[in-house]
Amino acid sequence: MAPPIAPIRPTSLRNLNLLLRTAPRFVQNQFRNHNTSTSSTSSVNPTEVSHFNALASTWWDPHGSSRLLHLMNPLRHDFIRGCHASQPEPVAKEGLHYLDIGCGGGIFAESAARLGSTGSVTAIDPSPEILAVAKSHARQDPALASRLRYLNTSIEGLPKPASLGGQYDILSLFEVIEHITHPAEFLDQCTPFVRPGGWLIMSTIARTWTSWITTKLVAEDIVGIVPRGTHDWEKYINEDELKGHFSKKSGWNSPRVVGVVYVPGLGWKEVDGSEKVGNYFFGIRRDE
Amino acid sequence: MKSPNLRPRNLGEYVCSNCTRQLRRQRRTYATTTLASPSNLDIYDIVCVGGGPAGLSLLAALRSNPLTSRLRIALIESQSLSPTRTFSLPSTQFSNRCSSLTPSSVRFLKDIGAWQHVQRERVQPYSEMRVWDGVSGTSIDFAVPEQEMGVGGVVAYMNENLNLTQGLLRRVEELGGVEVIEGETVENIRLGSDTTNGDFSSWPVLRTNSGRELAARLLVGADGGNSPVRAFAGIESRGWDYERFGVVATLKMEGEGWGGNARKIAYQRFLPTGPVACLPMPGNHCTLVWSTTPELAQKLKSLSPTDFVALVNAAFRLGVTDLKYLHTLESGQEEEVSWREQHTPFSAEQVPQKVVGVQEGSVAMFPLKFRHADTYIGQRVALIGDAAHTTHPLAGQGLNQGQGDVEALANTVSYSVEHGMDIGVRMNLESYESERYAKNHLLMGVVDKLHKLYATENPGVVGIRSLGLRAVNRLDGVKGFFMRQASGTGEKLL
Repeated sequence: MAPPIAPIRPTSLRNLNLLLRTAPRFVQNQFRNHNTSTSSTSSVNPTEVSHFNALASTWWDPHGSSRLLHLMNPLRHDFIRGCHASQPEPVAKEGLHYLDIGCGGGIFAESAARLGSTGSVTAIDPSPEILAVAKSHARQDPALASRLRYLNTSIEGLPKPASLGGQYDILSLFEVIEHITHPAEFLDQCTPFVRPGGWLIMSTIARTWTSWITTKLVAEDIVGIVPRGTHDWEKYINEDELKGHFSKKSGWNSPRVVGVVYVPGLGWKEVDGSEKVGNYFFGIRRDE
Repeated sequence: MKSPNLRPRNLGEYVCSNCTRQLRRQRRTYATTTLASPSNLDIYDIVCVGGGPAGLSLLAALRSNPLTSRLRIALIESQSLSPTRTFSLPSTQFSNRCSSLTPSSVRFLKDIGAWQHVQRERVQPYSEMRVWDGVSGTSIDFAVPEQEMGVGGVVAYMNENLNLTQGLLRRVEELGGVEVIEGETVENIRLGSDTTNGDFSSWPVLRTNSGRELAARLLVGADGGNSPVRAFAGIESRGWDYERFGVVATLKMEGEGWGGNARKIAYQRFLPTGPVACLPMPGNHCTLVWSTTPELAQKLKSLSPTDFVALVNAAFRLGVTDLKYLHTLESGQEEEVSWREQHTPFSAEQVPQKVVGVQEGSVAMFPLKFRHADTYIGQRVALIGDAAHTTHPLAGQGLNQGQGDVEALANTVSYSVEHGMDIGVRMNLESYESERYAKNHLLMGVVDKLHKLYATENPGVVGIRSLGLRAVNRLDGVKGFFMRQASGTGEKLL
């Protein structure tokens, strides 16, 4: 089903001005070195947290602003299956442990917890309002309680695993990296949580004219299916930048990328090559 | 409202044994504090109300698919299933409630492993359909073209409904794992409540007349035209009554049919009162479906077997005026028909062979309706089969539409399970509705228009519809299209 299309809203001059400030211009590689001496204690950007706090109430509304995320969720599982299928040895049929960072209302976390192959899901988010929504929603499915754990924290607040047993088979960052101020540092923080042979899986948006037009101009401004200010185009990351980042770090192998496109009336579809222009999944395996 | 008591064993596949043990411990402490009001609430992934062809097919489909076989499923059927389990008749007798199964439905029944449990010697495939206009005499023949004989050469299969439900029930019992609650009625359905064990406020909770309580992640209404599940979900079903009744009977014919046993033919003649159909069953048997006005239906039912047989023969042979007159007689139709037949020209091989007898007690009647629910889904609710739609039997599509619903819903549930989605959430049921609603609506619309088109003697309308039929009969391409639609293998209309 097509998403509900709101009537086209007249764009005021002020809005247009604000919008154009976010328009594409030359931005160097997202993994450029930033001054590490001011190294923050958290990867979390407070402006982002307050923005998503405000979205909490509509997170599970099937016709609300998160509808596109609900529709995308099955493809996340298909992508993870594809990653597992590419391993030389088959993945375990049960007992897989997930760490979902920036879980939001729990769309992915709940679904991962329902799978027969899942042992546990730990889902974290820095926004207390959203986490309250996630926890309250999970109570509607009594089967989740024993497998799904929500923690109101950032990755820095989560104790580093002391042993292999505390590490995760799948660490997921769905639509998260584009909201992080210092992505390189953040990814380094995530590494110790992935067990050798485990996967880091993420989805995000490429930083291109197309993505600016679709996510800023059309989705946020003209059609309004996504609330204004959800996206900060300058923080978008291209897949070659991600690959470059991980190739410089030792300990990772087998990067996989799949581009996806939302086709009104048909839903999300995997489209070869679209990772260069819009939404894409990225997965990489930690060396054993 | 009583607090539902979470039984750990009910959490099924979602909870590992370790956690189940833990839950059991928790429950013990919980139970000691609430001994005064023990609750009977059981938690299921799917509760299906109605053990007819649609409901049983759904259970067989879900249980035979490895992805959905671990769901915790219950069936509630208000009648005892014993008559279905023990259904057995000599080869010379047939139940009067038969349905036409399209090759597409039979393919699905094979996929879910049910077809092998159907008594196959009681199923009659047919490869030709003769349909003609009772007023003008224009006809259209539907025969499977030679080049398609290789794929079975079958337009459809005639089968007793009880034979089908018996096969399905055997398959469900062979697969096991379904909590079958039979002979218990659903007393009420309400939403659950927010408890210490979870928030059940979006879950339907059913209470049976024995006091059993079942919470349903997904409640499936396979409970027929007056669906209580549909009423609970607040879904309106709109339509009209045709002011027609379907008269059914099991007929004994003078032979196996003009094409012999190898090439059985189905006949349907449109009369102004409604279509009358003679559909082949094994051996010298046919099943009758005569749609007519309530008065004439009542009349047919009250006739002696010999007069009834005479009137059925007349319905395929005599003119509309003759039939009108015959209906006014209190009795003596047999004599009247044999006299009139000598004076009415018709080609014997273009109509069914002569009916020579009617199976005792097999004449029955039921009202014909058109109903379509506003939607097939709600939060934690899905409607299938007659609960979603009721149609005129003239195209023999009712049961097949239900099988199409079941296949689509089973696929939707399977996709949800595979992707960790809550199978009951309305959004996750949308693909079921979008796959079925428009398709059913279109087919029902065509069937309804056919009924209305033929329920008239207006010369203008008769002339135009005859032209239409004649044109269709000449154009093999168009005919092939209608045939494939009738046999459920057709092009997607939408």
